[in-house]
Amino acid sequence: MLSDTPLDVSSELMLDANAVAGLLQEVFGVEMTVVPAECAGCGNRAEIGTLLAFTRGPGIVLRCAACMQVVLRIVQTPDSVYIDARGAVYLRLRR
Amino acid sequence: MKASIEWQIATVKAVHPETHSVKTLTLKLPNWQRHRPGQHYDIRLTAEDGYQAQRSYSIASEPEREGEIDLTVERIESGEVSPYLHDVLIPGDRIEVRGPIGGYFVWEGSRPEPLLLIAGGSGVVPLMSMLRHRSVAGGKIQTRLLYSSRTFDDIIYFAELERLQGVKNGPKVYHTLTRTQPEGWKGYARRIDRQMLGEVAKPLGGSVQVFICGPTLLVESTADELVGLGIPAAQIRTERFGPSGPA
Repeated sequence: MLSDTPLDVSSELMLDANAVAGLLQEVFGVEMTVVPAECAGCGNRAEIGTLLAFTRGPGIVLRCAACMQVVLRIVQTPDSVYIDARGAVYLRLRR
Repeated sequence: MKASIEWQIATVKAVHPETHSVKTLTLKLPNWQRHRPGQHYDIRLTAEDGYQAQRSYSIASEPEREGEIDLTVERIESGEVSPYLHDVLIPGDRIEVRGPIGGYFVWEGSRPEPLLLIAGGSGVVPLMSMLRHRSVAGGKIQTRLLYSSRTFDDIIYFAELERLQGVKNGPKVYHTLTRTQPEGWKGYARRIDRQMLGEVAKPLGGSVQVFICGPTLLVESTADELVGLGIPAAQIRTERFGPSGPA
């Protein structure tokens, strides 16, 4: 994966997870940008809102701001939303 | 924290030009909810063939205004949504929106720490909601805005910022113009750098709360420099926008 480096060309197009806050709230039913998560790559604990968002691909990729590892991947189809959260140890949603 | 954000049909109440490439839309909302300064709305356009395009736009108005919101929108030449909002939309039109959205990049005025707001271009919009809220709520917390624009004519809300700055306990506003400056310009005339940040941020002390909104590269370099100046990263909140906004 040659392009999958922290400083690839899309870093200029990088946004914050805040940019996809509407979609996250639609999927999870709560405001997600203040939800804490732990990066499976480096152990950094931070709110979802701190994640860096890459939104120009076919799916949305959210990366850890500390180590740039992928934390969440979101792909939308006409009838479903796929969420790959392998990059997160956990997301902590309050009841 | 449970919050539904159903799509609703807003009615355009007014369209107000701010600069040659920026307009403010005033939208009346049937299901208005009080927002938190810094939040945004999603706008969704649907073509006759069903194709949909969606973008996020920051709320510019203060939460105290009931039943309606202002969204300030920059026209992006190659954009799918902003040219429509600029060139086609007129008062009385109806448009699909959902919000308010976001909880991370918000300032509600209840915190005691001094406030440093840093904007690049239309990144000033969510910060303006914070400043308007602060003004309406009679906020006294020491507040500074550092605002980078290309030219004088690109400055959004210039007159209002002057007015806010002129009142007792008002925020201090520092402009920098990176491309051209009018004759006799007394503000900064370069990109935001460490020296500038030191001059603007230092007097606010080490507990300052920072909100930075602008193009990705400005946000990146500014946040890095502030950390270099000794401001803890945890006190810095950022909102980046790309050349044509979030997908």
